Amino acid sequence: MADQNHKSLEVVFSCPLASGLHARPASHLAEVANQYVSDCSLTNLRNGLVANAKSVLGIIAADVRHQDRCVLLVKGADERPAQKALHSFIHETLPHCDVPLVDTARSSHSYAIPRFLKAAGVTAIPGVPVSRGIAQGHVVILRTMGLPHKISSGPGILKPNQELDRVREAVASVRQQILEKLKYSLTPTANAVLQADLALASDVMLLEKLTERVLSGKSAAQAVVETAEYFIDLLAHSESEYIRQRSADIEEICVQLLQEICGEAPSARVELTGPSVLIAESLGPQQLLQLDRHWLRALVLGHSASTSHAAILARSLGIPTLAAVRNAPLLLSPGLEVVVDANRGFLIPQVSPKVRQFYEREQTVLQSRKAAWSRDLRISAITTDGKRVEVGANASSGEEAILAFENGADGIGLFRTEILFLGRNDSPSEEEQFAVYSEVVRTADGRPVIIRTFDIGGDKKAPYLNLPREENPFLGYRGMRIYAEHEPLLHTQLRSILRASSAGRLQIMAPMITTLEEVVQFKTAVTRAQGELAQEGFSVSPDIKIGIMIEVPAIAFVLDRLCREVDFFSIGTNDLSQYFFAADRTNQKVSTLFSVRHPGFLAFVAQIVERIHKNKKWVGLCGDMAADIRNLPLLVALGLDEISGPAAEVHELKRAVSMLHTADCAKMLARAIASERACEVDDLLAVPLAPQLEPLLSEELVVLESSSRTKEEVIQEIVDACYIAKRTEQRDLLEEALWAREELYSTGLGYGFATPHCMTDAITNDSICVLRLRHPIHWDSVDGEPVRMVVLLALRNSEAATPHMQIFSSLARKLMNEDFRQNLLEADSASAVTAYLAEQLGAAFVSNLSLKKSLSSGADLISQKPD
Amino acid sequence: MKVIAVTACPTGIAHTYMAAARLEKIAKHFGHEIKVETQGAMGIENKLTESDISQAQIAIFAVDIEIEGRERFNGMKVIQVPLQEALKNPEGIFAKIER
Repeated sequence: MADQNHKSLEVVFSCPLASGLHARPASHLAEVANQYVSDCSLTNLRNGLVANAKSVLGIIAADVRHQDRCVLLVKGADERPAQKALHSFIHETLPHCDVPLVDTARSSHSYAIPRFLKAAGVTAIPGVPVSRGIAQGHVVILRTMGLPHKISSGPGILKPNQELDRVREAVASVRQQILEKLKYSLTPTANAVLQADLALASDVMLLEKLTERVLSGKSAAQAVVETAEYFIDLLAHSESEYIRQRSADIEEICVQLLQEICGEAPSARVELTGPSVLIAESLGPQQLLQLDRHWLRALVLGHSASTSHAAILARSLGIPTLAAVRNAPLLLSPGLEVVVDANRGFLIPQVSPKVRQFYEREQTVLQSRKAAWSRDLRISAITTDGKRVEVGANASSGEEAILAFENGADGIGLFRTEILFLGRNDSPSEEEQFAVYSEVVRTADGRPVIIRTFDIGGDKKAPYLNLPREENPFLGYRGMRIYAEHEPLLHTQLRSILRASSAGRLQIMAPMITTLEEVVQFKTAVTRAQGELAQEGFSVSPDIKIGIMIEVPAIAFVLDRLCREVDFFSIGTNDLSQYFFAADRTNQKVSTLFSVRHPGFLAFVAQIVERIHKNKKWVGLCGDMAADIRNLPLLVALGLDEISGPAAEVHELKRAVSMLHTADCAKMLARAIASERACEVDDLLAVPLAPQLEPLLSEELVVLESSSRTKEEVIQEIVDACYIAKRTEQRDLLEEALWAREELYSTGLGYGFATPHCMTDAITNDSICVLRLRHPIHWDSVDGEPVRMVVLLALRNSEAATPHMQIFSSLARKLMNEDFRQNLLEADSASAVTAYLAEQLGAAFVSNLSLKKSLSSGADLISQKPD
Repeated sequence: MKVIAVTACPTGIAHTYMAAARLEKIAKHFGHEIKVETQGAMGIENKLTESDISQAQIAIFAVDIEIEGRERFNGMKVIQVPLQEALKNPEGIFAKIER
């Protein structure tokens, strides 16, 4: 492509994306290149591969991985503007245009059939779980996926030009079908997957290769088959597993093309008429979306791609899926009832009464675990002296919000919306935004969500805004400042937020506010959108709360006035500190000036919080200061109404709060502010928070009405109790460890007590579990008496002399004492058992959460009630 | 009588300590003075000193595994039983001593 006479224009870059230039970023790049007539090639300098940058397939095949050096060569009539656009895409958009895919499949998957099933002689077919869950249904086999090597039937060969028309019509029709599906797309993930498919179907290189073959005399159908083989082979050589797996997507598109050309009925139209488990060698995302999800219970795939689009979709739709199941279509006959256990990673082809019994029980266990976990997460972070601290999370996508709530977030303190606007060539529609905000607010389930309107500018650029290049972008045109010029964009966003607000507690927040006038403008824009929606008949929450970010120091001195205008504030420590110190946080040369722990900065933030609280308004803090758990004592002492940290850290933050005492925190903050330098504060905070051991026992681990009737059932029940309390993720290993110990000699110690025990890493926290049996059972005890009470002692394989081991030994000794045993046998509730053991063994070793719960009913331990 | 004992079981989490508690209780019941060394998951606790050993008339080993420092007891009168015996029938062990 490069001509010798005239030098091409260049854009040199190294790939900033951790998973390389795979399908989705590649489709963005191709989209930009396709806006110009100039030729555009991409050369990967690492491997020397050259690709047409207008082709998604070509770009993918160039196998560009993280930090590969690459060069884009542009040549043609509009090469200058093309180069400029590509340059700005590569440097400004590309770094933000990939959301990493989570590969949930464990790389070294080992499966174990639970002891109960093994004992019942159950056999299973192993597979890799790519979307978790358990389901039961009848086998439906989908055999048609896959391309033939040679076309033996189909329409007769016409002239090349007519064959070419067939190809073009087929491509247009397939594109149309995808567009139709996009209209009814259910989740943002499904949307992204279909967009990628659309890009493949529209690929210039695909059309080029098809055309080449047809013009050389091949039939349209044969051209499709050969083109598919060509690309599949090309991708097969990629060093990235992710890219190799994309060949399934190409295969699906080509199968669709073939169906169009040969006029066959779409083979993927499988009618599901009852609870079904679909078995297929591989499955395209579109085929999956066509299936009747009312009856689709599980997927079993032959191929091993855990990041295939079908697998990604299955996860987003919550369909249990096993991959890499060899020969499943041969082993299973249609109509057979099977169980798919995509938690453990196998399929059971014969549903015997024992299997049914096991999975009925399993269902109850999973429900209890879910309920226990959500109860636990809903428990507030309360300091040791009883002050409640709201811990929220920052999120940029629906997925991240789900993660936040799974980790127990009290709310979303900052939902960034920029990601919706970046990495694309047009702004997101009202419907698209509405779908995202609605999903977040539904996930929040009544907890507050603060949505920040788009903060674009600075280091975040969107090509369609045509923002000017600036010498000093952080001090320039960004955030609130661009709203006046891009009013329609703000208006659309406000409409979508307000519409979503009818489903829960949404609040709106403006970024980069500098003056009172801006606040007034912003509020006017909200009022306008509200009025418009009301006229159109939308139900809109009338008293939606409006707040602003505190990032610009100037507003810290007009807070009294601002408090009359807005409902809440959120301190963005990243920008506030860089503006406070006038130091770019990304510039190494001035980084020593920049510290959120600087005494001056801490005093500044303390003043802001105090001022806002004087005006009886709400103030939270988002930003990286909350991401470092060592700053927590300072944040607690500041008296913030909410601390909003990274979604993945919420649970840790909450736990850390529950170990702090506000008086200690206040002392720490006072000392920090009185320090002279940031490094002194670092030293103050360097002493880690007092390590606290997880409690050994909580009420969840006490079962007083067990109906188990055999030793096997008891062991299964205590293992399940540990699983419900999230103390084990490897039930099978824990169960085996307990049986290994029982096989040495029975742990029945006489007096109707047994103490099964083990030392294993299958337990995540050292644990005690207490089970009182309704029916005394045989345990081979030393005195031959049946057992009525079972006490599990499970210890991790760690340094032997842990304080927990002392508790275990003391418990073991106490079990020799008749009064102690009698008290356990006669306790009238689980809380009575935990309370008695806390008294006997030391309160610190029994869950403080349950203690707090039981105390708060009597004493007024929780001073601040959640609103 | 002055009695010393060592308890040790395979996992060292539960039975070592149960047996120790049981032996202490029964010894008291029979009017003996006893000191029990436990060899469990926390290592050796309540270690028997040279003078403990020299003053004792008899040693009881209620153990399922080889104990540490067995040579300390060379030349002593030793009764060794499986650990379970200390739970099942500690009275029997003491009856043997008194014979």
